[in-house]
Amino acid sequence: MEPILLRARGETNSRSISTYLRLGGYGALKKAFIMDPAAIREEVKNSGLRGRGGAGFPAGVKWGFVPQDSPKPKYLICNADESEPGTFKDREIIHVDPHMLIEGIIIASYAISANTAYIYIRGEFVEEARILEQAIAEAYKKKYLGKNILTTGYDLDLYVHRGAGAYICGEETALIESIEGKRGLPRLKPPFPAVVGVFGCPTVVNNVETLACVPHIIERGAAWFASIGRPRNTGPKLFCVSGHVNRPGVYELPLGVTFREIIEEHCGGMRDGKALKAFIPGGSSAPVLPADKVDTAADFDAVAEAGSMLGSGGLIVMDETVDMVWALENLLTFYAHESCGQCTPCREGSDWALDVVRRIRRGHGRPEDIETLQRIARYASQGMTICPLGDAFCGPITSFLNHFGHEFEAYIEAATPAPRKKLPILPVRSGRGTFGL
Amino acid sequence: MVTVTIDGHEVQVAEGTNIVEAAGKAGIEVPTYCYHPGLSVVGQCRICFVEIEGQPRLVTACSTPVADGMSVLTGSERVKEARAAVMEFLLENHPLDCPVCDQAGECYLQDYSFEHGLDTTHMVDERRTFPGFERRLIGPHVVQNQNRCIQCTRCVRFTQEISETSDLTMKARGNHSYIDTFNSEPYDNPWSACAADVCPVGALTVKEFRFRARVWHLEETPSICPGCSIGCNISLGNLKGIVHRFVPRHNPEINGWWMCDYGRFLAEGLNDRDIEQPSRADAQSEERAEMSWAEAIDEVARLIATGSDVQAVVSANLPNEALLLAKKVLADHLGARVLTPINDGEKHKIKNAQRQWIGSVDSHANSTGARLIGLPTGDQDALVKFLESSNGPLIVLDNRAHPWLATDAAAAALKGRPLIVLARTHTPLSRHAAVVLPLASWAETEGTYTSSTGRVQLAQRAFFPKAGAKPAAEALLLLGARLEAGTDPNLTPRAMFEELAAEVPAFAGMTYRRLAGEPGVPALGFEEVAHVG
Repeated sequence: MEPILLRARGETNSRSISTYLRLGGYGALKKAFIMDPAAIREEVKNSGLRGRGGAGFPAGVKWGFVPQDSPKPKYLICNADESEPGTFKDREIIHVDPHMLIEGIIIASYAISANTAYIYIRGEFVEEARILEQAIAEAYKKKYLGKNILTTGYDLDLYVHRGAGAYICGEETALIESIEGKRGLPRLKPPFPAVVGVFGCPTVVNNVETLACVPHIIERGAAWFASIGRPRNTGPKLFCVSGHVNRPGVYELPLGVTFREIIEEHCGGMRDGKALKAFIPGGSSAPVLPADKVDTAADFDAVAEAGSMLGSGGLIVMDETVDMVWALENLLTFYAHESCGQCTPCREGSDWALDVVRRIRRGHGRPEDIETLQRIARYASQGMTICPLGDAFCGPITSFLNHFGHEFEAYIEAATPAPRKKLPILPVRSGRGTFGL
Repeated sequence: MVTVTIDGHEVQVAEGTNIVEAAGKAGIEVPTYCYHPGLSVVGQCRICFVEIEGQPRLVTACSTPVADGMSVLTGSERVKEARAAVMEFLLENHPLDCPVCDQAGECYLQDYSFEHGLDTTHMVDERRTFPGFERRLIGPHVVQNQNRCIQCTRCVRFTQEISETSDLTMKARGNHSYIDTFNSEPYDNPWSACAADVCPVGALTVKEFRFRARVWHLEETPSICPGCSIGCNISLGNLKGIVHRFVPRHNPEINGWWMCDYGRFLAEGLNDRDIEQPSRADAQSEERAEMSWAEAIDEVARLIATGSDVQAVVSANLPNEALLLAKKVLADHLGARVLTPINDGEKHKIKNAQRQWIGSVDSHANSTGARLIGLPTGDQDALVKFLESSNGPLIVLDNRAHPWLATDAAAAALKGRPLIVLARTHTPLSRHAAVVLPLASWAETEGTYTSSTGRVQLAQRAFFPKAGAKPAAEALLLLGARLEAGTDPNLTPRAMFEELAAEVPAFAGMTYRRLAGEPGVPALGFEEVAHVG
């Protein structure tokens, strides 16, 4: 497939506006401005573009939820808080082609009649925030942003908002709270952000990759976009491959390519010729899949059918040397650290599950621990929590136990009882001197 | 109005009501930790799960508004399992130190654990603790034990939404988040102890009440705060005749769910008493001679007869019934000149259930009642002038009716006059009075009080007066009988209130039953000056 989102990769000075213009950039914007906003929404809906942030919700449908008759200002937020372990695609887009993202933001803002847009970027992305600031300054200079863009009478201001590095701020309502200057805690839904979002106004939150697809859809048409990939799973997708492959990195491939193809053809196969043991298809919160599912097509529906989710497209490959108990402990350490602490099941469950898995890995597991883990996973997921972070750590627990339960059992069989903590015996002072109890 | 079915019971509730309130109306309790009717809804403790028939997922009852025709199950198997799981999550890191926890007995963790929890836990690992946060005085009145906290953020929301001081905040993240004061300043606002009230567990407790009594031993009596003219509703907790605490009692029209620290910590002062029997000054010695009430009333009658220009100072802290009797016996029958001194005092304010501020107009619990009954009122200057205008016998009901009366200056100004003083604790004035009558404390008095917003409210008697003390109304009844004013010495407070309702137009149509059932009955013809700021 010809590169679409990463077409500028390899160009010298690919981030500058002159390179972007030379490659035909901001052409879609000019085309969009002669279209009606409703027609743009329709076009994106027809393209079948699904949100690339993880949930895979159709972007055009999401834009349609914004009440156009509302007297309140509308906002567009670009979610660049890419903090899911194993995911680094948005970073690549910002590094290679920030203007593609900015053009997508302008078109999307125009489509929902927003006059203010934010790019919420995670705090650790210092370099990326600088790149975006520079690109935005260039766009302002060339009148693609600001008042009366390209003399159309449409105004748009775009701001970069740097987060402080919390994983939870990638959740759209927590992100909104964070932009408002509060603690990044997810909100109760409903109301959804499309109705009550940032500062109480209708807001659309889209992922970087989603917005980067928009100029291409406008420029080349919904039908062209829908012809890439498979029905209901259309368009190009960036896959971030990490782990035990020969060439880890970001690959742009049509949706529906199989994981085997990604690993063997594009990533040069497994490292050191070792056998594949398991892979996590969509960032660390997606349930793990065993090696025999490697022929699954990498699209939203097929992966869901296989018992996992495509999520953000962060493919984590594990070879036969990986200790799955250790891997789960590693994942849970992240989630226990990143749970926001707002609602009970996730706050308590994430830490508890980590304690249990860590104890098993240290050789002090008990047969009941498997049941405890399953119980935590059952009651901290599927609507028991305010936001999907509960599901994010419960998915791995359930899938690791389902597919690799025997490794946990082996650990438990070889376990020794946990050493009992002895209370220190303090000397008791009497009139006659000191003696031990 | 919409009709919803809760566990098969149909109830009609206003649109937008949440399931917790609707179930409450049907008489079904849905457990809640983070939900408080006076605070915003956050839906984060997850204990209030209920099942809506036809919906695949359980919903939190606090954050889900009812819809017409909705059928809610609060006790289905799925709900029970979910609640048990949430209870287990909550108790997983809880120290379970109930035997030494002062919240025990009014702790929602105990109650709901018993009702909805498992009888065991799957937890074998070490509990999370917050070293250094176990017994921390975070402000003048509140002690924090972070180990017991369930992170419901009720206290944080109280300081944001009710006291509007935002002094408490959640710090850190996840399982290690904890409550701390903002900027590490002391947690000090005029309503600070309410944060301990809203705390459903023992994480925040009131310093003054800690370890004074086990709450299940306390006898709680519905009463009114004696602190100022607002008339916050309180529950007065006593153990064997010793008042241990005031806690706010819900009244949507006056104090909502709250009360100020000033009023709350008046509780301990009600136990002070150094006058136990009637006594008279002895000409020969410094010691006062004790006597019986009958002798004392005779002595009072004799003293009154010694002069022509009799004066009386009547406190605006006395209940309506006593004020009416003072007017009837002293002013109308005896012809005494009466003054009710008013002290503006410190200003207090409180938020009602509609989140409107109500401010105090003066420091007396019943100044409005005194005005409605028709007693003349005046400030300190008027009081001094009033007392200078005569040399005859003076009846003081009671010796703390105005702060000036408790000063040495007052005692010096009134020296030599035949003084009859009703008092609970001595002031310079009472030490030299010809006759001192022991006055029952607030907790020992039953009566009605009129708030500055014109609401008549009933404060019940918590226990019988100690030693020889009597409420002011009883003393006036005895005196009235002795002076042949036509009062029945055995009148009960309820009968006195009926008399008040019959005689004073502002109280027309009021009965004890109405006072008990309504959030204070508005006095008739009283312009609602709520002093809402």
